[in-house]
Amino acid sequence: MRPILLSGHERALTQVKYNSDGDIIFSVSKDHVVCAWFSHNGERLGTYHGHQGALWTVDVDPTSTLLATGGADNTMRLWEVKTGKLLKTWDFATSIKRVEFSPDGRQLLGVTEKRSGHLSTIVIYEIEPDVDAEQTNEQSLRIVCDESKATVAGFSYLSKFIIAGHEDGTVSQYDAKTGELLLNITVHEDDMQVTDLQWSPDRTYFITASKDKTAKLISTNDLEVLKSYSTDTPLNSAAITPVKDYVILGGGQAAMDVTTTSARQGKFEARFYHKIFMEEIGRVRGHFGPLNYVAVHPKGTGYCSGGEDGYVRVHHFDKPYFDFMYEVEREQANL
Amino acid sequence: QDLAKKNTANRQVVEQRRRLLEEWQAWREQMREMLAEEGYEEPVDADGVAGADGDVEEVE
Repeated sequence: MRPILLSGHERALTQVKYNSDGDIIFSVSKDHVVCAWFSHNGERLGTYHGHQGALWTVDVDPTSTLLATGGADNTMRLWEVKTGKLLKTWDFATSIKRVEFSPDGRQLLGVTEKRSGHLSTIVIYEIEPDVDAEQTNEQSLRIVCDESKATVAGFSYLSKFIIAGHEDGTVSQYDAKTGELLLNITVHEDDMQVTDLQWSPDRTYFITASKDKTAKLISTNDLEVLKSYSTDTPLNSAAITPVKDYVILGGGQAAMDVTTTSARQGKFEARFYHKIFMEEIGRVRGHFGPLNYVAVHPKGTGYCSGGEDGYVRVHHFDKPYFDFMYEVEREQANL
Repeated sequence: QDLAKKNTANRQVVEQRRRLLEEWQAWREQMREMLAEEGYEEPVDADGVAGADGDVEEVE
């Protein structure tokens, strides 16, 4: 099936997210506007207006009731998905680089940027999953990242841990109740920023993407690197596909960073790797600039990518995608 | 002789993959047991299908 092109944003996409049913895609961009789209046909179902700066991040709660966003206007905001109504604005001293709901939707995490006089923090709010409820101003937890700023973060299975990726290429594990730092491991090359962190369905492992041109599959409990995927371009995003054992990586060198024309060729592709065998199995081209984010449909039926070129491309997987199996996988399946 | 060498190489690749697959499945099983001990229930979506991690067990 041909990809569906979502054109509605006027500037680079920064994050795209499916809701838990996979029927809606939320997208945020440097153009200040949040968009919601039907994933099956690409029709735009609404926009969310209010932010005064570039948007960096978006997440939707498990019931598709509440939407959270964060951006360069130093606010984190909560919206009603259905009506587009702004429910809450939390103000900060610096921009919000990442928001994520806990698996049960009862907590919301935000990652704040570092700037002179302000260390990067991970803040957590308890959320009332009711559009008419008053949301709290009080942070239930605040983690200060004094070693290296956090770039991405999220909640583990059962919201037991908070896992964060940092600017220096390390990944941290915090106790989600106390905020105590339990582990900090260098998983990517020194000072090569962790650019994305996405979970497996049960959140016992996750994948990180980095400017060091690799993605790593990491266990939640001990931050052990289980798998490593090497590419030839800086990565902005990495996602784990359910149903099939693949991972999808997105990135690319921005034109301003490219010194030779040859290095520009063919870098703007989504790359598919076998999750277990770590071998590249395919590429999907289409974007005219780096892929800033890739997201997978929660039922594993497709994926979408948000590009520096201002487009979201939605792909529905064809039969060959599901039929493809390595010989040893077929052996196992036939047992 | 070249053909024999190639076959050996191929066999090694296949054996390596088989090992990786078995290792992975063992680790996943370990994680499922860990989650069960922690009292984790796999989220059930609207269609009543439990999680979609590609290693869902068939329920009879």
